[in-house]
Amino acid sequence: MNTAFQRLQRDRRGELLAAWQQHLAATFDRHHPHPPSLDVQREVLFDALLNTLTSGAPEDDFRLDPETDLARHLNRLIAEQARQLANPSDTIGALLALKQLVARALIDTNPQTPVIEDLLWLDRVFDGLSLFAFKSFVDIRERLIAEQSLSLLELSTPVLRVWSQVLLLPLVGVIDTQRARQITERLLEAIALHEARVTILDLTGVPVLDTSVAQHLMKTIDAARLLGSRVVMTGISPEGAQTLTKLGIRFADVISRATLRAGLAEALLLIDRRIAPIDEARPS
Amino acid sequence: MSEPLDPECLPIRSTLDVVTARHAARELCERLGFGKADQTRLATAVSELARNVIQYAGEGRCLIEDGSDDRQRCIRVRIEDQGPGIRDLQQALTDGYSTSGGLGAGLPGTRRLVDEFQIESAPGSTRVTIALIKRR
Repeated sequence: MNTAFQRLQRDRRGELLAAWQQHLAATFDRHHPHPPSLDVQREVLFDALLNTLTSGAPEDDFRLDPETDLARHLNRLIAEQARQLANPSDTIGALLALKQLVARALIDTNPQTPVIEDLLWLDRVFDGLSLFAFKSFVDIRERLIAEQSLSLLELSTPVLRVWSQVLLLPLVGVIDTQRARQITERLLEAIALHEARVTILDLTGVPVLDTSVAQHLMKTIDAARLLGSRVVMTGISPEGAQTLTKLGIRFADVISRATLRAGLAEALLLIDRRIAPIDEARPS
Repeated sequence: MSEPLDPECLPIRSTLDVVTARHAARELCERLGFGKADQTRLATAVSELARNVIQYAGEGRCLIEDGSDDRQRCIRVRIEDQGPGIRDLQQALTDGYSTSGGLGAGLPGTRRLVDEFQIESAPGSTRVTIALIKRR
């Protein structure tokens, strides 16, 4: 038990909490939405923190155990702020502001006795908290990013059926090994499902066609062919074509058209269809 | 335009950095007044080289600088790593040769894409310098 902190908790809890909330309102909260639940959350965290400070002896080592109330409250607060895309330094800044307030109060309430040991203990606790806060902040952000890139991946490889037996695969963005694998998987499934005879591979949205991308494409095309689907490539830009030939990459015997429109016409031709004016189709 | 722009140094550690590097190269290329074909040429070359870094050395860096003077516009990119190095440069620059099951078009293709191409490699240090040059 630590008497200096106990005295602090007994005599000045309300005052400290108010000062901290005030400080946060003036700094952090000005830039962020401030739901009423936040005050409650902070108060809970504040109390958990004071309890930790009072329960330890000044010579104790401090490591924040993730199973404690304090860690749980801190984690919840950080999760909230990370989700609001707050700056991590704001979160940790809020903790350090509280440390300042507590240290000042500690010195003021104990004018006679030296409080160096207590201050060091305070320091250790807040160091532990800051490290913990930083780590959980990064963890949460990383999880968010991973979730987002996963959902992007989901979104970015649609296989569209533009006509019976004609599929369109518009490729957009960076094609790395993982995406290439996913694209191929999706396409092959769709080819099998729709018994597609032609697949249009539109590359308009692919920023750079280098050897690695080309190799992925070739494998996709080969696999599609094994399932009996012809492949029509579209949307290679004039610069892209020039670059590919300079690189020495040849898409031998792959049908290629400059635009998606021309590719669609070619695809229809391959399944003996054409787009004709309505009048022509009607018997006169 | 007469004042050369500061060189930009980018780390290459993941495929994301490959995208960043080629984007930066393309951007500077555009700022220096190169055309779209040249931008694509350089971006592709940087993409090839940076990807090699990831694949063979794990990490490295990419330095993009403006080497223009009164007579010519010039953009120079240096890509280097501390990887195992290329054992046989002659072979690595031959079309169709690859130690990794790739197309074997990366290095020789890149050499054809750019106006200047220098490569030096030893165990622990590989450095490729490429440049696009256009007379004013």
